[in-house]
Amino acid sequence: MSALCAGRIALVTGGSRGLGRAICLSLAREGAFVAFNYAKSDEDAAITVAQIEAAGGRASAHKVSVLDKPGLAELVKSLDREHGKVDILVNNAGYGQVVPLALMEESDWDEMLDTHVKGAFLATQAVLRVMVRQKYGRIINVGSLAGVKMMQAPVHYATAKAALKGFTESLAKEIGRYGITVNCVAPGVLDEGVSDHLPPARKEEYIRHCAMRRVGKLSEAADMIAFIASERASYTSGATLVVDGAV
Amino acid sequence: MDCTSCDTTPPRPDRPHTFFAHEQDACPACATAVEARVVLRDGKVVHLMRCTACGPQEREVSTDAEGYVRSFLARGVVPDGLVGDHLFKHTTSTCPKCLALVTADVVIRRGQVYFLKDCRQCGPSEALVSEDANYYVKAYAFARAGTQPLKFRTEAEHGCPTDCGTCDDHEQHTCLPIVEVTDHCNLECPICIVDNQYSKHMEPATFQKIVDGLIEAEGVCETIALSGGEPTSHPKILELLAIANRPEIGRVVLITNGIRLGKDRVFAQALKDMGVYVGLQLDGFTADVHTKIRGRDLVSEKDAALAILKELDIPTQLIFVATRGVNDHQIGQVVELFLSGSHFLSLNFQPVAYTGHGGGTFVHDPNDRLTIPGVIRHIDQQTGGKVGYTDFFPLPCSHPQCVSLTYLLRLEDGTSIPFARFIDFEKHATLLRSSATLPATPEVEDALSDVIHDVFARQDEIPRGPEILAALRRSLDEMFPKKPLSSREAFRVSERQSKSIFLHHYMDRHDFDLERLRKCCHHYPQIDGKIMPACGFNMFHRGAAKGPDTPRATFGRAPFSLPVLQ
Repeated sequence: MSALCAGRIALVTGGSRGLGRAICLSLAREGAFVAFNYAKSDEDAAITVAQIEAAGGRASAHKVSVLDKPGLAELVKSLDREHGKVDILVNNAGYGQVVPLALMEESDWDEMLDTHVKGAFLATQAVLRVMVRQKYGRIINVGSLAGVKMMQAPVHYATAKAALKGFTESLAKEIGRYGITVNCVAPGVLDEGVSDHLPPARKEEYIRHCAMRRVGKLSEAADMIAFIASERASYTSGATLVVDGAV
Repeated sequence: MDCTSCDTTPPRPDRPHTFFAHEQDACPACATAVEARVVLRDGKVVHLMRCTACGPQEREVSTDAEGYVRSFLARGVVPDGLVGDHLFKHTTSTCPKCLALVTADVVIRRGQVYFLKDCRQCGPSEALVSEDANYYVKAYAFARAGTQPLKFRTEAEHGCPTDCGTCDDHEQHTCLPIVEVTDHCNLECPICIVDNQYSKHMEPATFQKIVDGLIEAEGVCETIALSGGEPTSHPKILELLAIANRPEIGRVVLITNGIRLGKDRVFAQALKDMGVYVGLQLDGFTADVHTKIRGRDLVSEKDAALAILKELDIPTQLIFVATRGVNDHQIGQVVELFLSGSHFLSLNFQPVAYTGHGGGTFVHDPNDRLTIPGVIRHIDQQTGGKVGYTDFFPLPCSHPQCVSLTYLLRLEDGTSIPFARFIDFEKHATLLRSSATLPATPEVEDALSDVIHDVFARQDEIPRGPEILAALRRSLDEMFPKKPLSSREAFRVSERQSKSIFLHHYMDRHDFDLERLRKCCHHYPQIDGKIMPACGFNMFHRGAAKGPDTPRATFGRAPFSLPVLQ
């Protein structure tokens, strides 16, 4: 059986570490050429590229913020020029921040919403031109269980992730006619990434309520994303797929 | 398919078929030669006939409608090396001398289309009907099913055109009702298409009954036009306009030569206050042109009318009757004027029809006249391609040979760009169904959504792509503001987002084509309750097809004929 994403060109936002890196690795393993952007660490980005190449995949790293509209446009243009298409976009860029509402600064709120939601909007708008033209596309937004279920999670984080669910559903309706699917993958608590911020007691509580009695692995969420990005998921759109071990 | 020029509440039913053309055939029962209506129905091609002896008949001629249309269009391809006329099809026209209905060979000659006729009584004649055979033939590909009114005014008994009013064989509802409210005028135009008797001003009560009848027949109307004569000479014109100004009617248009507008500010202000639109006759810019077409120098009076329309920001349609050798050199100038003002919503070119009190006797050569493609060429050449030949498409709402149009999007810098530069109209035919504005139907919304995404995706390839996107965004903001608009406000806002240039070729005794009349959607409602397709009325009922005192057809009924509608 051929790889799930053979021949596809993917763009992953926030791909230098954590879940983003896992998504890049998974897509590359499934045959996609993976371009990813990152905002901070050149070193982390280099590690992602190195790991992909070590596994026989191809990747490129681009230091562009998801809030840099012209930069994103240029990144997509360069991919389009080089490969003639952009098939997959994974809106992953984000971060966690543990802070109760009472202590939350306005800037905390803005930065969280901007990175998760505005970043997804800008990246999507940048690739949409290509996807509409080619009448094909896979857009996957990385949500969170905190955006789907009532959980003890930072309010601005849960709000941003819930917004991505709405973004997914509305966009799926709007552009489905162009052969573009839009889905949201909402992981529960994973062993790395933003869950690193979770206090141990909260993680234990999660495991108590999880049917599989463990937190998830980054690769388990990433592999679901690779599947949704593939041709095999051609009739799945507007969905939010929870990857949480049954909480 | 509903004609989407109008709102559809209550819904008018679609015709059960797509009317395509006329062809010669024979009655299946008695073999008498009859002209058949070719219709596309359920993927098949059917000839609908009305035999004088046997009544309605039909015959299936093909089980492959698409293949039939392809082969029909292929008939219009002139074989290489052919010298002489290439027969494309047949239709029914009129003898230019006795006005009898005669069969016409539709032939292509040196890239143009002619009718060749041979009247038993008067002998042969021929007439130019299109200056571009390619346009003429391809126009048939735009045929779309019409819509029928909620109520027909007459029943088909003898066949077209004798049962007019409209009968249940008619293929399109009334998109544009034109009510002639007076036969008085303040001009004696050498190309006048009507025949003013200076005898009647329509009473408000009569007009009220006509409007009521229209609403009964149509449900809702996008537009009603008040014409004449010169309607501003009607002493109760404001009262009539008030009667027409009702919720079922989207737009009330006063078609005028503008003389009163320029002189009577109070009157112009009253039109503005009532929300009336003005259709201003403007056939040129110089004294010689006005004198040849309208009988005297009207330059200062037209300027005055244009000034008050601009000052009061009255939504305006310009109407330019284009006449070979008279004003065809000023076509570009009227386009430039039209593009310069935001209150100009549409520009209507009418290649002159040689019919009516003046037009019937206007000196002309039926083989050397302006037709729709000729006017479009002038537009292209005289605007330096600002509005180009390929920007225009046949309008499938009426018969595709009757009207051609282009829409222009208003850009942020005040200039306009034809829709055809960024919309594939063959793909988005829905957007061409309308005769004036794009209504908010689901299919139009879908088409517009496709257009937006298409321009968005190709913005680097399309000339002025980012500007077009900005204009589309502005349109959305204005049409869907944070404070909701009433339906009438929304209508007013939406129609200002784009402009349209129409070319409507009314017919005369030379180029009359019964096939075109069959789907006419510009109608003259009469006081006896009938709603008469315009060119049929001009040819057979008005009594002026060849000028004053032209004998009426035996079935003809003059304007203002009794009995008055009850």
